[in-house]
Amino acid sequence: MKDNSMLDLERKIEKTIYKATLALDENNWSAWFELCDETFTYAITSFSPEINKKMTYFSGDKKELIGLMDMLPKHNTDHSPLHRHTSVYSIDISDDGKSATAVSSVTIYQNMLDGINSHLDSGESRLFVIGKYVDEFSIVNGVPRFTNRETKLDNRRLDKGSHWPL
Amino acid sequence: MDFESKADATVQDQCTAGMSKKIAVNPLDRDFIEEQAKIFRNAWVPVCHESELPEPYDFRTASIGNENIIICRAPDGKINALLNVCPHRGMLIERRPQGSFLEGQASGNPKRITCMFHAWQFDMRGNCVYVAREKEGYQERFSKDDAGLRRLRCIVNYGGFVWVNMNDQPVSMLEEWAGPALSAIEEQLNSVPLEVVHYHKEYVEHGYKAEALQFLNAEKDGAVFDYGHCTITRNEADVKKQNVSTDFPSPDSKATTKVHLFPGYVFDLSGPVLNVTVVTPVDTNRIMIEHRGLAPQGESKTDRDVRAKYYNLNHGPFRIPATGLQENSENNFLSEHYLDEWSMWMGTHPEGLQRITEKDSADKDSSLEANESITGPHVVVIGASHAGISLADRLRKHGFVGNISIFDKQVGGPMERPPLSKGFLLGGGESVESKSLLRQKKWYKANKVRLKTQSTVHKIDKDEKTITVNNGDVIKYDKLVIASGAVPKELPSSKGIGNAFVLRQPADANAIRQTANNSDSVVIIGGGYIGLEVASSLRKKGMEITVIEAGERILARVASKPLAEHLHKLHVDNGVTVITGVGVESVNQEDGIFHSVTLSDGRVIEGEMLITGIGVYPDSQLASDAGLETQFSNGGAILVNNEMQTSNEDIFAIGDVALRREQNIAVESVHNAQETAAIAAAAITGADSPNIQTPWFWSDQYDAKLQSVGIVPVQDDSVYQVERPGKRDGAVSFWSYRGDELVAVEVVNDPATYMEARQCLDTKRFPDPKQISKPSYSPVDSGGGRS
Ligand SMILES: Cc1cc2nc3c(=O)[nH]c(=O)nc-3n(C[C@H](O)[C@H](O)[C@H](O)COP(=O)(O)OP(=O)(O)OC[C@H]3O[C@@H](n4cnc5c(N)ncnc54)[C@H](O)[C@@H]3O)c2cc1C
Ligand code: FES
Repeated sequence: MKDNSMLDLERKIEKTIYKATLALDENNWSAWFELCDETFTYAITSFSPEINKKMTYFSGDKKELIGLMDMLPKHNTDHSPLHRHTSVYSIDISDDGKSATAVSSVTIYQNMLDGINSHLDSGESRLFVIGKYVDEFSIVNGVPRFTNRETKLDNRRLDKGSHWPL
Repeated sequence: MDFESKADATVQDQCTAGMSKKIAVNPLDRDFIEEQAKIFRNAWVPVCHESELPEPYDFRTASIGNENIIICRAPDGKINALLNVCPHRGMLIERRPQGSFLEGQASGNPKRITCMFHAWQFDMRGNCVYVAREKEGYQERFSKDDAGLRRLRCIVNYGGFVWVNMNDQPVSMLEEWAGPALSAIEEQLNSVPLEVVHYHKEYVEHGYKAEALQFLNAEKDGAVFDYGHCTITRNEADVKKQNVSTDFPSPDSKATTKVHLFPGYVFDLSGPVLNVTVVTPVDTNRIMIEHRGLAPQGESKTDRDVRAKYYNLNHGPFRIPATGLQENSENNFLSEHYLDEWSMWMGTHPEGLQRITEKDSADKDSSLEANESITGPHVVVIGASHAGISLADRLRKHGFVGNISIFDKQVGGPMERPPLSKGFLLGGGESVESKSLLRQKKWYKANKVRLKTQSTVHKIDKDEKTITVNNGDVIKYDKLVIASGAVPKELPSSKGIGNAFVLRQPADANAIRQTANNSDSVVIIGGGYIGLEVASSLRKKGMEITVIEAGERILARVASKPLAEHLHKLHVDNGVTVITGVGVESVNQEDGIFHSVTLSDGRVIEGEMLITGIGVYPDSQLASDAGLETQFSNGGAILVNNEMQTSNEDIFAIGDVALRREQNIAVESVHNAQETAAIAAAAITGADSPNIQTPWFWSDQYDAKLQSVGIVPVQDDSVYQVERPGKRDGAVSFWSYRGDELVAVEVVNDPATYMEARQCLDTKRFPDPKQISKPSYSPVDSGGGRS
């Protein structure tokens, strides 16, 4: 049986994942980065049965991600908000209690705003992507912080939409 | 059934089978289907990359226009494309995007493509190998040998892409279609084996042409090429920065070259990244874009990671789009070019600027047409090759002002035949076609010669003076010229084998070249000129070659014994195995793939491909059906008089298909084609008959250039040869005499001696046979000649 401190830590990790989900849904990048360690790295990957290979669709460290977020307002992009539904499936904390990994299922919907013809499309919600988050944490003084997130997508068909981390 | 109605039928079938959401009755959909059929009937499509099916029995599925296709790798490593539709009841066979047939599926055996409906099975070349209850169900009415998946034209080229064309007789060969535009990056594409390391697709709400135009409008510079290939943007500043190298760009290279190919493909080599996009229409207002990122096979992880990073920045699905909209270029000739190309296939200009008639658009060669309305006398020619084209040329030179129409069943502009067994086979992807065209496009316009390709003449009605063409057109003629040439003989047992070839048409040469590029050894049956030239070309590529000649020596029908011995030694010295005096007992194959021949003495000779060059027979079926006199009751050459006139006064026959009654052997050569054309043209126009030259012929093998003049009467035992050494190394000639009369001279690597020999034969001045072997004796000036 797990002791209370472990259960407590698991709850904190779970909460961190859900907080990240909310921050990302709100495009609140600074709130998200606060949950991340300085060494944080991020990647979106997918396995393609078409070419039989694992692929990296996007990758960057914290510095690169911050740079990217700063650039966002200067670019034309689709502003349809994304809405993530995350369920944490498993959390494994290391024996020394200093790190952990967690696997969550994620489904992301796109709420149409300014696609091709907003007159017709805006307001509609579409399923955008499905996949899993594989997260790694460092735990310092009982506070878990993301050190790595791999968003493992099932999609290989990716239509117009978001250009920031999922 | 033509392609359009087939495309319609396919959609309707799918609707009835509940397999497709497409509804054929919607007029927009009908336009869409038509667009798909017309455009994709002719296009070469890069359906996937060879690395997506790396092992034997691996497959990949794709679609072109309205058709589903399957691409699979045969046990010998060759890639084949097949229609993914079961010949039994037309069901879709393979549904997975990619996989392997090595392991059996639930309803089928290993190494077989199995239809899940009634378990018919096919091998990797599409041959049907199993039909459930074949004997019980069908008795003798049907055999699996009659069924098979439809094979499509498929070529691996330009960095390992698998290109498929739905048309068995493509309007242009891949090298013509894609080669000129891709030449900008071809060396880089082919410099190292590549693999696809990134794949994603996206649906975009856009009509097909709108998307393409958007691409093109954004481009400032570019070049347009024939066959609608639009293209190349280069960032000059970047090019300067690039390390000049033909290798595939390293992770730090900077140049940018973008090649757009009609109807919707982009090869984009930017910095270290190669991205290839293929656009497939989904419905009237939606397209799918597939993105493939490629990298050299086996590169280090560090290089691969850097490359992936660059790739994702520019092409990844989560890249940040560029700032601002790309400006529209003033200089939008690329889009005009694209629209023209579009209208060529569709018959309508997408912007309604001009209408191209259905009649014109039906034929890619419409641009070659000049005299649309037929008035005045009409000379119709069947066959657009050396003889047919020469005839048209001669008619115009004689001042003929009537109409000239040439019909040929081949696709594309007529090409010279001789290079097909020589330099052409050495090429990789390089396009030698345009320089091998018998005439450039502008010649047809300037000379008002109407060329109709892809037009097979089915019938001649000599009473009505008409011919009937495959599209049903009945054309009236005043004079008809048959220049249908000859077709190569085949061994019955080699028919239908995928890696067994004959060589006559450009398409044959292309197929041989493609297969040779992936093979190490070849068995050539026949030691005539074609077989030996092919042996020399493929040997230069480093292939292992065995030539099998049933006769006692090579070139027994066409060359003197000493020349044959000279060439035999040349081949042996170059590492070719030449076997003479032994026939072929059987051609051995497995699953439709040739692997060896068994000789009459029991020897088995293995090879990865087979080429048969055992002679030709005149293509005279049309003429004999029309009741014209031919050499034998069941065919043979068309017999003509000295003016090349057949047994019907308004019909002439020239080139390889014709034989003058007074001649006893047919001469198949370019010279004969041109000369007989000149004679017929003179007869038709009433001009003076041309001077008859002594027949000449040439052949290239290794570094030996053979030129021969006169015909060596090989059957005549009284004829003997005298060898005359040349002045230069490797130069020699063989002078054939009957008594003191010079009949033919065969010259190797000695053009000056050839000219002298020709002069002797043309003027019938015969040098002394006893002196000719002395290099100091001049055959023309020595005064030793006799008339
Ligand atoms: C690979 C190769 C290498 C050669 N090398 C040499 C060489 O080095 N030197 C040399 O002198 N000769 C060479 N020859 C021989 C020479 O090319 C031929 O003698 C010459 O092409 C004959 O010309 P042709 O016009 O009579 O017939 P072909 O070239 O055979 O052309 C006949 C044309 O008629 C068309 N046709 C036939 N039936 C129909 C129909 N019913 N409707 C419409 N179209 C039809 C065919 O599609 C074809 O295009 C070579 C031939 C080949 C194949
Ligand atoms: S439909 Fe394929 S076996 Fe019957």
